[in-house]
Amino acid sequence: MLLADFGTSYCKFRELGGPAGAGQPYLLATKDLPKNLRVDLATGHNGKRFSDRYVNELTALARGGEDLIAAPDYVLLDCGSRDIKYVSYCHGKLADMGWNSECGASMGFTIELLEKYYNLDYGKLAVPERTFSITCGVLGMSHIFDAVTSGISEAEAVARFVKGIALNAYRFSGSPETLYLSGGLCDNPLFVGSFPCNIIPLGRFVLIKGLEKTAREHLSIAL
Amino acid sequence: MKQENPFAQLRPDSRVGIVGIPPLAVIGRLNSLGAQIYDLDEPQINTDMELTAPFLPRVYCAILRTALLNALHLELDMIVIDVGPGKCDCALHVSTVLQDMLRIPVIRTRNEDDVPFGHPLCETKMSLLEKLKRITAGVQSAAPHQPEKFPPCRPTAGFWGVPPRDFSLLTLFPDTTHIYGWTRCMENKTPADGELEEMFNAEVPTIFFAQSFCAKTALAKFLAAKHPHGLYLDVDVTCSSSTQAKIQAFLELSGVGHAAR
Ligand code: SF4
Repeated sequence: MLLADFGTSYCKFRELGGPAGAGQPYLLATKDLPKNLRVDLATGHNGKRFSDRYVNELTALARGGEDLIAAPDYVLLDCGSRDIKYVSYCHGKLADMGWNSECGASMGFTIELLEKYYNLDYGKLAVPERTFSITCGVLGMSHIFDAVTSGISEAEAVARFVKGIALNAYRFSGSPETLYLSGGLCDNPLFVGSFPCNIIPLGRFVLIKGLEKTAREHLSIAL
Repeated sequence: MKQENPFAQLRPDSRVGIVGIPPLAVIGRLNSLGAQIYDLDEPQINTDMELTAPFLPRVYCAILRTALLNALHLELDMIVIDVGPGKCDCALHVSTVLQDMLRIPVIRTRNEDDVPFGHPLCETKMSLLEKLKRITAGVQSAAPHQPEKFPPCRPTAGFWGVPPRDFSLLTLFPDTTHIYGWTRCMENKTPADGELEEMFNAEVPTIFFAQSFCAKTALAKFLAAKHPHGLYLDVDVTCSSSTQAKIQAFLELSGVGHAAR
């Protein structure tokens, strides 16, 4: 059984229940997806195109969190290429959720783009003291251009931008003391270090975990 | 009402637009005159909302922008707009705009009707979309309800709020969703009954909905926080796919099957 999380920039897959048992989860760039690809259970942007069985992204995120997080009270935030979403649990039960595809638009995508454009390495950039006030990746870019024009280094300007995005995501998810983080930005030390709270990164495959839970518990598929 | 008898000029086939819920006496009068009633709060024509931009800010309640858009296009003989405690200040200001914009009488009413008609549709088993359609259509009639036709069902979910500008979001809920908030007041024909509006059922997961930019967003958010299993939601003109997913996920994760789409 092939599970897939179809993201805007990357798609995540995991094969379950094959002759060799469960395979390791893996990534493919969305632009390289085979044209006639079909999967057994899908989530994510565009996922409906590739499967007859679709789980919505918030549900997949929440179920992934239920599987991966032992604490009864938590906030889990997923930062994707084009949106941010979170679920919060209280006493082991869903308490709140949010999905920001407008103001959170293209955040993750812009962060990746800027690293390539300015030839930077987020692993080597320090978390800046100051930040830009940013609610959207696209609009936030003008802050970078203004800052660079005013003499601030490109690296410093981009770092302030990344910190601004992290702060925006933190506030969007309700400013918790501890935040479980999902998505590719878990691997970005500058982004993770920019949050003013304790961060527990869970990596890129949280929604895939949620699909596994769905297959197991809601579709009664033995895995 | 300012004029002595604003309805004297109406003919049996006069076209009257209503905004909000005019008092029952007014509806009864329009019915007895045989006037054709158009509910301007609901989309009546399929055209671009941008056409309201010269008259109302874009950041304004989508129900009232819709009312104005309807008023621009339907050739009406009169508008009756409720601006009392059962509606809002936004409607009051829109009545000023409408009066200036149109050459027909714009009659302001203050509906403080307090005779409860009951709310059988709010608690019966039926698609939420159909329930809301019937409740909103009921505004045009002064006839009593027929509760025997709509027996109550056991609720599995709750919808609290006003009838949304975009009815498509209602299709996501199960048929056993009970209705609360102003829509319940609407069916009860007591739109200014604040106590009834604040009621909810703590036993069932409930979505607390308000139109974006409406003062009721504060009440929706407040009640959602009080409810042990509530989710606050505001939507402007149309329900985005992420908002739809939010409703679906909330119902699904609360153990309530949502309607398949
Ligand atoms: S939704 Fe709110 S602002 Fe809009 S008409 Fe109704 S009460 Fe007024």
